[in-house]
Amino acid sequence: MVEDKASGAGLTRRELLKAMAVVGGASTISFIAIDREKLRAVLKPVSLEEILGLEAEASADESELERKARKKEEEIKKWCSREAEKICSAKGGDSPECKEAKRRCSMVKVKATPAKPGVRFAMALDINKCIGCRRCAYACVMENNQDREMHIEWIKVVSVPREEFEILNTKLDYTKAPEKNMVYVPMACMHCEDPPCVMVCPVRATFKEPDGIVVIDYDRCIGCRYCITACPYGARRFNWRKPTIPVTELNPNMHILGNVLRQPHVTEKCTWCIQRSRDGGVPACVEVCPVGARSFGDLNDPESPIRRIIEEYGAFVLRPEAGTKPRFFYYFGPARTPPREEASGKSGGEG
Amino acid sequence: MAAREYGGGFVDTIKYIVSKGLLEGSRAYYMALLGLVLMAAYGVYVWVFIQHAPVFLKSDYGGMMLTGMSDSVPWGLYISFFIFWVGVAAAGIVFGLAGYVFGHKGFKKVAVLGEVQAVAAIVTVLSLIMVDIGRPLRAMILMPQLPNLHSMLDWDFMVLTGYLILNIIGFLVTVHYYRQDKPIPRKFLVPFMIIASPFAIGIHTVTAFISQALVARPYWNSPLLAPRYVATAFASGPAILMLVLVLAEKYIKGFKVDDDVYRKTMLVMVGALIIGLYFTFSEAHEVFWYTTEPLKKAQFEEAFYGYHLGYLPVMMMLWIGLGAAAVILALIPKVRNTWPGRLLIAVITIIAVINEKTMSILVPAYIPDPLGRYILYYPTPLEYAITLGMHAIGILVYLVLAKVAIEVIMTHYFRGSGAHH
Repeated sequence: MVEDKASGAGLTRRELLKAMAVVGGASTISFIAIDREKLRAVLKPVSLEEILGLEAEASADESELERKARKKEEEIKKWCSREAEKICSAKGGDSPECKEAKRRCSMVKVKATPAKPGVRFAMALDINKCIGCRRCAYACVMENNQDREMHIEWIKVVSVPREEFEILNTKLDYTKAPEKNMVYVPMACMHCEDPPCVMVCPVRATFKEPDGIVVIDYDRCIGCRYCITACPYGARRFNWRKPTIPVTELNPNMHILGNVLRQPHVTEKCTWCIQRSRDGGVPACVEVCPVGARSFGDLNDPESPIRRIIEEYGAFVLRPEAGTKPRFFYYFGPARTPPREEASGKSGGEG
Repeated sequence: MAAREYGGGFVDTIKYIVSKGLLEGSRAYYMALLGLVLMAAYGVYVWVFIQHAPVFLKSDYGGMMLTGMSDSVPWGLYISFFIFWVGVAAAGIVFGLAGYVFGHKGFKKVAVLGEVQAVAAIVTVLSLIMVDIGRPLRAMILMPQLPNLHSMLDWDFMVLTGYLILNIIGFLVTVHYYRQDKPIPRKFLVPFMIIASPFAIGIHTVTAFISQALVARPYWNSPLLAPRYVATAFASGPAILMLVLVLAEKYIKGFKVDDDVYRKTMLVMVGALIIGLYFTFSEAHEVFWYTTEPLKKAQFEEAFYGYHLGYLPVMMMLWIGLGAAAVILALIPKVRNTWPGRLLIAVITIIAVINEKTMSILVPAYIPDPLGRYILYYPTPLEYAITLGMHAIGILVYLVLAKVAIEVIMTHYFRGSGAHH
């Protein structure tokens, strides 16, 4: 020990330098030797091409997804017929519930429709029109096979005082709508260009599709809830236990990345009804809205309603300072649906 | 590394650890082990059969529904204590640094205890992550396969496992040489310290980076978060080590710690506490003096005033009060130079940092949530049971390894040739 101390300093420094040289050499060699393509693939989970939708996903990936969808379909059909049997034995074979359940089970189809190249979906919502009826939230629950008891609602509608849109002064649990001096702002996944949830996912279970829809692979989600923490719009929900869906209300039109039945302990969120929009339809919330406040379309198509709205009225997004570039636009349309009489008389005073 | 050169002898080291740690010991030691095993088993049972029943058993009942967490507060008690123990883990390499790199003899003696503490803390940390993750088996398969290098969680996983492996190696090698009454060779120590020291800072930093860069959570979204983690970690880690040293010196015959070790540890602890308190002060000023950012202000008000969640301000005040008390006590020579005084300061510091690091650093970031809702979080008995179980695993590891470590320290320094120097 004594002699250690005597020769200590010089020896340590020399050996330290040696060891550092070894470490440096090893990292240089591994840096040179590593497969660049693989490294690039690892370092770039979301590429610019993907965001803009210029590059379709590799075909090998698609078949993988289709295979998964097929397996899932068999699984769901089995589960569904089991559940239907239960209903039938409880209520009798001729009961309407039994027939309904069997009908839905026979129609179950899990799709894996890929994104159309060159399409970039976007949604717009006219705040002047929205009456806060929450029919979109209800339709969303039914369409997307969400759990009926955990209050997983992909769409949350907040009522905002007209003076200022400060999220802390809003109310989610209003019971009477529409009210004057209030505007209603439905919020769901904004399908950002630069989604924080995709960046933070440790296993790349959530990603952005070429047509701009941010999806979750429910078979890959590990349930760490980091994406819920990272989302600035509070759009993500977690299945805190096994979700329950009555078979008589099952939506048989499913997409493997969208409304396919979820497992316990995975995250889910709005997918712009990928099972509808990829087949040329519009999301359920757009279809059900009684005042036509929502519009959905292709941002790349000059004829689409979205483009027209942005050009004609100008649109804004929520929390632009977050820098996520949402593709869910809000705008104030020309006509106001909620209480007109009172608002028209003293609209100047209310400001 | 060095272990492989002494292949045959190394197997003997494992045998030595097993026999010293598990096969020898007093009745009290075995009772403690038994108690901890029962606690850990209960925690694992509750986790597998109740909290994760839908995943492991495919049952309809149970699930994380039974925890207090919700979509608004997705992380809770588990992650709170995860943050705390990550901090504690750093002390391992810090003591090694003082002993091996700066050549402080007193620290050299007890450096292995720091490594033991790091191993136990990281074991606790990893178990807490395991019970928090919704689908742990999937995570274990997917995380090494498909890492997303944008995700801080992956980096954290890497540094934590790396740090765990390094400390286990350090512990094994130390035991290997000390039990034969030989000093640890430089050939091992130099590269080991070069690789390990960045990890000690890295584990806190990366853990703070998990939450620091999230624009969704203004409570965390400040560059002060990582320094704050590191600052209070340097208070709690050495405090726990000092607690152990004081108790070991008191109750183990022949075990002696240099007074300088206490003095320097106290210095680190108090310095870190002062910096931590100063950071809290600075954050409070930022938020309460000028800031008009409503969500940030609301979250800080929740932490300091607790308009909705009463336990947060209590924890905040305990942190500030006890932290200041520890600093003041450490300034009084009569207190800091006696063993009960040291014990007291260490305990106060640990409690202060628990109050700063756990719930009060995590929960306010979720209340209110980005939709402006105040969904409150109170841990449920289930969470307490599982958290205690996971801590029992960590303490179990600590007890067994620390017993071996103290045994080899005694062999090398107090009975063998090391005693002469």
